[in-house]
Parts: sequence; structure tokens; C-alpha cells
Amino acid sequence: MTDRRSFLSGAALIGAGMVTKAAVASLPEAPVQSSPATQAPLSPPNGRPYNPVVTLNGWTLPWRMKDGVKEFHLVAEPVVREIAPGMTANLWGYNGQSPGPTIEVVEGDRVRIFVTNKLPEHTSVHWHGQRLPNGMDGVTGLTQPGIPPGKTFVYEFVAKHAGTFMYHPHADEMAQMAMGMMGFWVTHPRDPKQHAVDRDFVFLLNAYDIDPGSYTPKINTMTDFNLWTFNSRAFPGIDPMVVRKDDRVRIRVGNLTMTNHPVHLHGHTFEVTGTDGGWVRPAARWPEVTTDIAVGQMRAIEFIADEPGDWSFHCHKSHHTMNAMGHSVPTMIGVDHSGVAEKINNLVPGYMVMGDKGAAMDGMQMPLPENTLPMMTGDGPFGGLDMGGMFTVVKVREGLARNDYKDPGWYKHPPGSVAHEWTGELPPAPRAPGAPPAKASEAMDVKRDGDMHHHH
Amino acid sequence: MTSLYKLVGGVSLLALLGGCASLSGDGGFGAVASVSEQRTGAPASVAGRLPRNEDDARALAAVIGKKLEQPLSADDAVQVALLNNRGLQATYWSLGVAEADLVQAGRVQNPVLDFKRSHGGGEVGIERTLTFNLVGLITAPMASRIEGRRFEQTKLLVSNEALKVAADTRRAWVDAVAAAQIADYAKQVEASAQASAELSERMRKAGNWSALDMAREQAYHAQTVADVTHTQKAAVAAREKLTRLLGLSGEQAAYRLPDHLPDLPAAPRELANVEQAAVDERLDIQAAKLDTEQTASTLGLTRTTRFINVLDLGAVRNTDGPTATRGYELTLEIPLFDWGSARVARAEATYMQSVNQLAQAAVQARSEARASYADYRASYDLARHYRDRVLPLRKQISEQTLLRYNGMLMSVFELLADAREQATAVSGYIGALRDYWIAQANLEAAQGGRLSTNKGVQP
Ligand SMILES: [Cu+2]
Repeated sequence: MTDRRSFLSGAALIGAGMVTKAAVASLPEAPVQSSPATQAPLSPPNGRPYNPVVTLNGWTLPWRMKDGVKEFHLVAEPVVREIAPGMTANLWGYNGQSPGPTIEVVEGDRVRIFVTNKLPEHTSVHWHGQRLPNGMDGVTGLTQPGIPPGKTFVYEFVAKHAGTFMYHPHADEMAQMAMGMMGFWVTHPRDPKQHAVDRDFVFLLNAYDIDPGSYTPKINTMTDFNLWTFNSRAFPGIDPMVVRKDDRVRIRVGNLTMTNHPVHLHGHTFEVTGTDGGWVRPAARWPEVTTDIAVGQMRAIEFIADEPGDWSFHCHKSHHTMNAMGHSVPTMIGVDHSGVAEKINNLVPGYMVMGDKGAAMDGMQMPLPENTLPMMTGDGPFGGLDMGGMFTVVKVREGLARNDYKDPGWYKHPPGSVAHEWTGELPPAPRAPGAPPAKASEAMDVKRDGDMHHHH
Repeated sequence: MTSLYKLVGGVSLLALLGGCASLSGDGGFGAVASVSEQRTGAPASVAGRLPRNEDDARALAAVIGKKLEQPLSADDAVQVALLNNRGLQATYWSLGVAEADLVQAGRVQNPVLDFKRSHGGGEVGIERTLTFNLVGLITAPMASRIEGRRFEQTKLLVSNEALKVAADTRRAWVDAVAAAQIADYAKQVEASAQASAELSERMRKAGNWSALDMAREQAYHAQTVADVTHTQKAAVAAREKLTRLLGLSGEQAAYRLPDHLPDLPAAPRELANVEQAAVDERLDIQAAKLDTEQTASTLGLTRTTRFINVLDLGAVRNTDGPTATRGYELTLEIPLFDWGSARVARAEATYMQSVNQLAQAAVQARSEARASYADYRASYDLARHYRDRVLPLRKQISEQTLLRYNGMLMSVFELLADAREQATAVSGYIGALRDYWIAQANLEAAQGGRLSTNKGVQP
């Protein structure tokens, strides 16, 4: 994570080249971000005060004030996004990234957004969930003509309601969203104390189908995606959400994939406090550890981070915590390979038996096609995590500074608080009355200590 | 009745003729062997002559035995065929026949003495006739010339036969090596299918696959077993064809061949004037030319001798009792009914036939030269395409398939299916390489023997 100073100076540097041109056209500059790392929250330098959010593996778009209007400049353009270290994707996005930068405004702000189209086809921006004049809704053909390539359109409206929103094209939607065109929008309440939390993370759920060895998503895929991402990042490329013990934490998630995602947090219970329709009245909030986020929906969940540790946070569809994998690969579990393996090896040098004991790779480092993430990966303090896709860790630590989002490393467990191997006498496993006696299985023997059995 | 003594005249001419032709001793084989060696690069005999006795046979067996100790190269195969192909040996001996004819033609027919003694009325009559076919005497130089040409022609045809056997052997060698190689690859394919089938059975046993899935894999394996038998049949047939050309049998038929065809040369031959070379070099064309010359000469002979060949010229000595009379007898055919024009016309027709046959042979040779050169170049390009494009791409696919297998993006069955496809591509390359070497042998044959510019790239 870069600190705020380097982030701002970096943005200024990149934006510097645009100043003259933008001044001539009297457009606000369009800063560009090239790093996929989570950028520190952008405290508002002017306008109404608010508590800024942290965009997971993303950033917030700076603005300029002009005659009391907040002016933003989005540039729709092809970008190269690092999905995770070792893999990049040719996407379409805004201002150097996909998803585009988060736009943060305050309830009642008059907002003017310039949208420059540097895509090879027309586009538009729909401000998902906003209450605005119909002609600003960004639906090509219905409320406006498409923004032709090379042209700049301007949208202007008042951010009437505080809440959590998204933006995305409403022009050749299927292709443009499959290519990564989307961004987060937060309208803060006029009163910064209202709904105030200590840490406020935001990200979008997105999915891509990028063939192993290639770079560009297959935009015609409807359900069989192979990369399930938070903000176009797949684990282990997703930053941890670092929080201070006893912080009140809000996580806002928007779903722009083609399926629902039951998002699940370990070690805590949370409440769904907001949807894209607004804030949920306290009396209507349900305690949850998993909340399903349907297609096109936003959810804000809140919890008190009162349990120190490294807590999983992920989609509960297990295929969504995998990276690219062969969905038609037959199950090899339990298949005896003896003899056949050698035959195959004669024909295919370099072949290794895999999958006969399950799909875990046990840290096996096998060469893969270029630009392909291992199916499941990530190392923790106790070994491989066997995870990919929509997975990250909420790191709850004591004594962090208020604005410290730096990764504190792995949790140091108090002595005696980690599950460990049992070496003592085993009580007999109770069985249902009348059930046949348990068969001594190979797998059970394997798990036992070496000196406890001699028949191998 | 007169008893006649027919005496031979023109004794000096006789003497001249008697010394003009004799048997060479090798039946003209030396000349043929030298042409054949020059064109095929392989000597046609062990001791410079055809084997006639036990010692020769042993020497030949020793030479061939030595060649068969190593896997037989194409050049060695040609060598063995030239030495050992019995059909070719029989053809070599036809040289002897032709030479004997030639010598015979050059010798004047022996005079015939006819002696007749008769009794009658207490009288004894003795009639002695010595006849000599004078026309033979007169025509002998011409006949000798004709037979000389025929002998030359026979030499060319026999040499050509040797070249044909050499070319057939080279083609058969290429076929036999390729067929064995293809059969080998079929076995590899079968092995991958067998691994698949076995694994599918275990998949079924573990409860992971349906009977349908398993049957599919096993059906494929069953098909590859059939393919192996097909390719092995073809390999045996190709090898036996070669064995026949090599004239081998018994233990010698167990000769070994290289595991694979020679590699494709770095570049194909650039031949500028294939048609001219074919017309100049091909022995069958040269033989046809000789044939035409011969019929031309026969035509000339017929023209000049349209009457003489029916002339009987004799010296007569007649003893009738105690007195003897001397004289000569001349029988001259009077060209009253047959002016010989039919014979001349026939000879002319024969000549024109020969001329046209020569022209046809030339047209054929030129076309064959063009066709075989075009085929040779195309075969080279095709084999190179397999080598430089198809095989590297298949290899790349296999590498990428393995990477996908590593990432659990593909199954082991896809890995095995790819191994099969790769083997198929390799078979395609072997086929293309075989076609190339056969095209080269065809080109050589169409050009009348080994390509002068082709040293060092023989298979
Ligand atoms: Cu999911």
C-alpha cells in the first residue's frame, strides 16, 4: 500500500502532462493511477468534509471545485490490469485502472463529470442507484446518444441521497462490463458523524473469463467464468483489510457479475446496514455471517472488529475461491495409477500423477501456461491456503494508528490457541445404534503417526 | 544330268570377313557394368565379370554377407540388388546371346558340300555339289553392322534394366523403411490409447466414470490395435518387395533396415534443364535412337539389294565320267513380277515406325522429366512444411497441453489424446519424407540415372 503522499504526488505527476491541454479545453485534469495497490483514503481537500473510504486495490478520483461544482474527469480507455502478481489482463476501464476510481461526494453536492471516450466504440456512463434527472441517467439510445470515440460528454446532477452506488456503461453493456468498465460511487452524508465508522472499505465484485495463456476476457461468456475477483483482483492479489481492534468496520460491496455471491466473514457477526436503496433502519438489521449479494446489488455490512486475528473474508461459492481451472476435468480421486503412470510418462515426458488424492496441490510448483494463475494458491503461516479468486483476509490487530492500513503480517496467536495434533489416547468414536462397525480406511491410517501402524 | 562343282569365288573377301568379329569373353558385360556403375554408383559385379562358378558364388555371398552385417542403407541395397537380383542376372546373360549373334553374323556361312552317288545300268554316277550362299558373302558386312548395332542396343537396354532395378530397389527401400517406421508409430499410438483405456477402467472401478465414458476410451484403444495390424501388414509387404529385389532368401532375408528415413536435405536440387538431360542421358532413349539408325540402315540395304539378295552366284565344276567341265552358273531373278517394291515399302514403314517410336519416347521422357522434377520439388516443400511447421506446432501444442494439465485445466485424457495426435503428425511427416525420397528416385530414373549434382544426399 502506498501512502497518501506518494499517491498524490504520483497522481499530480501523471496529471501534469494534461494540465495545459485540459486548461485549454477548460476540462479538469484526468489523473491516472497505474498501481493496483490499495491507495490510502483521500481526505477531502476542499468542499464539504466527510470520512473517506478505502477502495480495496483501488483509489479515489481527485476533483476540482469550479464555481461550487465538484468537477471530475473520467477517461474511458483500454487498460492493463494486474489481476494478481504473475497475471495481467487487457481490460477496458477508467483513468488507467479497472475498475475505475471511486467517486466520493457529499449529499447535496452539485457534481459535474466529464467523460472522455478513448475506446474504439461509443460508450456512456450510467450512475447506478442515483436519483437524478432522466437525461443524466446515461442509457444510450434512451436518454442520450452514445459518446462517440474521441468525444467528451458532460454529466451534471446533484447527489441528492447519501448512499452506496456504482457507475458503469449502459452502451454495449455486455461487452463493456465484461471488459471491466465499472466503478464505485459513495455519497457521504452531509453530517460526517452520521453513520460514522472507523474504517470503510469498498469494492466491486467482478468476474472474467480469460483463457489460460491469453490476456483478454472472453466477453461472450455467460456463466462459466474462470476468474472471480474483488475489484478486478484475484487472491493472492487482493490486499488484506487491515483494521484496529474494536474499530467499527464497514465493508461495502457491489455485484456487477452475472451471478450472486454469498459473502462470508469469519470470526464475527455483522449486520447488513445498507443497500443501494439506502440505509437499513437499525431495527430491521439482521445479524449475519454471510450475506448474499445478488446481481446488480450493493450491500454495506458493519461489524465491531473485536476478535484479533487473521479472519477469512470470501465468497462462499467454493468455485469462486478458485482461479482458472478445468471445469470438465474428470475426478481422479481414488483412481489407481500404478503401472499406467509409467506408460503415460513414456509417452508424455514431464507427466506427473495429479488429482488421485484430491485437488490440493500441496505447494507443488508446476510450470503453467503463460499469464495463468495457479488454480488455488497463497501461502499462510501454516502452509498453503489453497485459495484463489474472491478471497481475502480481515486482519484485526490491537494498537494500530487510526489511518494505518499497512499489512501487519500474520497474526501471532497466543500460546495454546491454535489447533494442533492430538497424540494421546483416542476415545472410541460413537456410532449410531445398529450401524455397521467402522472400516479401517487407508486415509485414517495415513493421518496417524508413523509408529502406530506397521502394515505399510 | 549334270554334276556340278560349285566353287567359291572372291576368296580374298572371305578372308577379310573371317577376321572381323570374335567373342569378347565377357559377353559385353564389362561395358554394361561400367555404364551401370557410372549411373548408379554401385558396381554390378564382384570380380568385374558375371559369376559363373562356385568360387564366384562364394565371393558374391561374402560381399553380400558383409553388407548385411549392418542395417542396410539405400546405397547398399542398390548394390546388393545389382549383384544379386536374379532377373537382372538373367538380363546380363542376354548380352552374351546378343554378342554371339553379332559374331555369328560376322562369320561367312560355311560352304555346303553335296555328294551324290548313284547306280544304274552298271554305271556309277557321282554328283558333287559345293554350294555357297554368295549373297551372305556380299551382305555379310551389312549384317555385321546390323548385329553390331543390335548388340550396342542390347547393351543399352541391359544397362537400362540395371538402372531400373536400381531405381526400383531405392524406392522399395524407402517404402520398407517408412512402412516400418509408420508401424512403430502406430504402436506408440496404441500404447497411449492403451494407457487411456486402462485408466478409464480404473476410473470406472473407482466409481468416477460411467460405462459409456469407459466404453468410449476402450473403443478408441480397440481401433488403434486394428491400426497397428494394418500398418504391420503394410510393413511386411513393403519389406518383402525389397527382399525380392535384393534377391535374398533364407537367413539373408533377416537383414536389418535403419529405424528411420534419412533426414530431409538442407535444400532441394536446382536442376536447370531437366528435359534436355533426360533426352541426352536416358539409356532407353539412346537405345531407341540406335533402333532407328538400325532400321535406317536396313532400309538402305533393302534398297540396294532388292535383287541381289536373290542372286545365286556359283562357280561350277562338273565331273561327268572321266571328263570334267568347268564353268559358272548365274541365276538372276528377273524382276518381272516382284520389283522388290513391297520389301522396300515394308522397310520404309518399319523405319518410319521406329522414327515415331523414338519421337514418342522423347516426348515421354521430356514429360516424365518435367513431371518428376515438379513432383520432386513439391514433395520437398511438403516434407519441409511438415518438418518446419507441422511438427514444431504439434510439439508446442503438447508442451502447452502439459502446462494446462499441470494447472488442472485439462485432464490426463487430453494429454493422452494429444500424444496420439502428435504421433499422427509424426506419421504424416514420415509419409511426406518417404514421398520425397521416392520422388527423388523417380526423378533420377526419369533423368537416366544418378543425378550428377546430387552427390551426398542419397538416402
Ligand atoms: Cu461468488
